[in-house]
Amino acid sequence: MYFEIDPKIREDKGLSLLREETHRFAEEVIRPAARKLDRMSDPEQVIAKDSPYWDVLKQMKKLGYHRIFIDPDYGGLGVNATEAHIILEELGWGSVGLTTAIGVDQIAPAVASLFAMGDVIEKIVKPWVEDTEAKYHGCWGVTEPECGSDYIMACEESFLPHVKELHPGEVRADKDGDGWVINGPKSSWISSAPTATHVGLHVTLPPHDNLANGAFCIVPLEQEGVTKGKPVDKLGLRDDPQGDITFDNVHIPDDYMLIRPPFYEFRIGQIICATSCFMGTIFTGLARAAFEEALRYSRERIQGGKPLCEHQLIKQKLYKMFEKVESSRCYTRKIMEHVWERIYIERTFDASSRHALSAQIYGKRSAFEVAYEALQIFGGYGLTKDFLIEKLFRDARAGLIEDGTTEVLGLAAAYNIIEEC
Amino acid sequence: MAIFPSREWVEAVLQAAEKSEKYKEAAKDWEGDFLSIIEGDEEFVRDLSRREVMEGFISFLDMMPSEARKKFKGTPMGDVFEKKLGVPLDTPADKFSIDEMTSMASKLSAEDIKGACTYFWSDFWHGSVRAMKPVAPGEHEDATFKLSGKYSAWKLMVSGRQDTIRLVMSNKLKLEGDMSYVMKHMKAVVALTKEVFAGVPID
Ligand SMILES: Cc1cc2nc3c(=O)[nH]c(=O)nc-3n(C[C@H](O)[C@H](O)[C@H](O)COP(=O)(O)OP(=O)(O)OC[C@H]3O[C@@H](n4cnc5c(N)ncnc54)[C@H](O)[C@@H]3O)c2cc1C
Repeated sequence: MYFEIDPKIREDKGLSLLREETHRFAEEVIRPAARKLDRMSDPEQVIAKDSPYWDVLKQMKKLGYHRIFIDPDYGGLGVNATEAHIILEELGWGSVGLTTAIGVDQIAPAVASLFAMGDVIEKIVKPWVEDTEAKYHGCWGVTEPECGSDYIMACEESFLPHVKELHPGEVRADKDGDGWVINGPKSSWISSAPTATHVGLHVTLPPHDNLANGAFCIVPLEQEGVTKGKPVDKLGLRDDPQGDITFDNVHIPDDYMLIRPPFYEFRIGQIICATSCFMGTIFTGLARAAFEEALRYSRERIQGGKPLCEHQLIKQKLYKMFEKVESSRCYTRKIMEHVWERIYIERTFDASSRHALSAQIYGKRSAFEVAYEALQIFGGYGLTKDFLIEKLFRDARAGLIEDGTTEVLGLAAAYNIIEEC
Repeated sequence: MAIFPSREWVEAVLQAAEKSEKYKEAAKDWEGDFLSIIEGDEEFVRDLSRREVMEGFISFLDMMPSEARKKFKGTPMGDVFEKKLGVPLDTPADKFSIDEMTSMASKLSAEDIKGACTYFWSDFWHGSVRAMKPVAPGEHEDATFKLSGKYSAWKLMVSGRQDTIRLVMSNKLKLEGDMSYVMKHMKAVVALTKEVFAGVPID
């Protein structure tokens, strides 16, 4: 465990207990399951009914981690930004893959809890928050085969004047009687798609001329017209399966359309602000895990007649890793507080996207840099499956692409910086 | 407890805005008037058959010059008054028989008042509410923003029981105008509901 630099958090017994209990869960449940899932040679095994994936998901739901981002008035966990940050860093320490699974799970019900009324609350949000058996599981469908980074750029409000330069999008919703009909493919990269029962889906609306002329809706996936591809076999984050979803005349009722024009183009970036704090925080957890692994190993491994940590070169590496973990925690926590205030307290939905995006980039980049150096400290052993560090390194590498490449997130933030600063 | 909409409610809202430092601060950069359109619905019919609501509603309409009231002629709201409640539009307010109108209103159905709208115009300017008053159909059509929706949705908003954003996002209230301006000034919109409207409890 780390020394908590903020006395308000350190001296708060409730927060210390929250940290310890979440850490215990991450250590005893998440991490062992994540390693098992990571070693499965076929991603189909990860999504099988008897996979540890489901045990962890159920336990996370029992502990209420699927309700962190849900409006407390509609069954949310009722945590504040600091508590959310503490929980997410610890879960990320256990596994960023499985924490991604519980993160994308709540995007659609969280949006519904913040903006919807009536039927969708009764039919979706209520059963979702009450679920402790992982009967409901969500994913987040943004990117498409032809629109990867383009979709990320289209979510930045300051980029709107240029949105027509991008691909116009493939998944379309058209009015159909009282409801909507959806057609088109989402990319192979939708986290948890192979296991999900619902998707929070980005669609374009007639005349389907650009990505900003869109909407965000919730779509039940267990219905006719939905096809899912095989889970992707990939380098990192193997404990959270990605896969594609294709829609062929899939119908949803009108009130499942949660964010529509004109709000979509101006406010969809707020979802990215929330997911960015989430990502920055869970990758801070990964950075810390990698740092701890390296520190421990450097104390045990003797080379040059003394433990590695007594060599100046390694000391310097350890210091730099420490600095990255601590600054990542401080920064992502501050930005989480800001985003939380604007979304959950003030309800003005005007969080600063340049800050939120930078928290995501900073957290992911720190995690990769720390995991890279940590693996180097392990030498050849770091490359073997015997040590956790190689998984952390692969997961951190995948993080630089998941939820937007760090380059493209930075590009989106730059538009906002130039317009607003 | 004020009746929405009524003269008493308008006066209380103006006072609440005047007193609220939080609202003044949040809306200090806001420039833009609103035309609000309240569409009659089942709840409106039900409420109108309560004497105090009818009285409040008449007091609200009475804030309009009688010339303006005549502009309702031929509109669904004008027809409700003249044909369903039996009150010619140019009747001076003190000649209204509230009891009779309440009793007539209790016989109305939602179908009877379909399309019947009440309009009010509010001028928000740098943290103060320079005006808030009922207007006739066609007046202030050029307002910077238009907010329309059923009476029941309006009640949820002005009572503070639901936030404006949820009502607008879920299509219960429709907002028209420069959305990027509204988005940049969400603080002002939220403060208007939380600090001003919610500060005036409605019956
Ligand atoms: C593990 C994982 C989980 C994921 N989970 C989800 C999910 O849950 N839901 C979802 O919708 N998507 C998900 N994604 C998809 C992810 O958001 C995309 O992979 C990412 O946005 C990049 O898109 P792309 O892969 O199509 O690459 P491309 O967009 O093709 O980009 C290729 C390269 O070009 C660069 N590039 C692209 N555009 C520009 C530009 N305008 N200027 C300069 N350089 C540019 C990129 O930085 C990148 O290096 C996930 C991806 C991964 C790897």
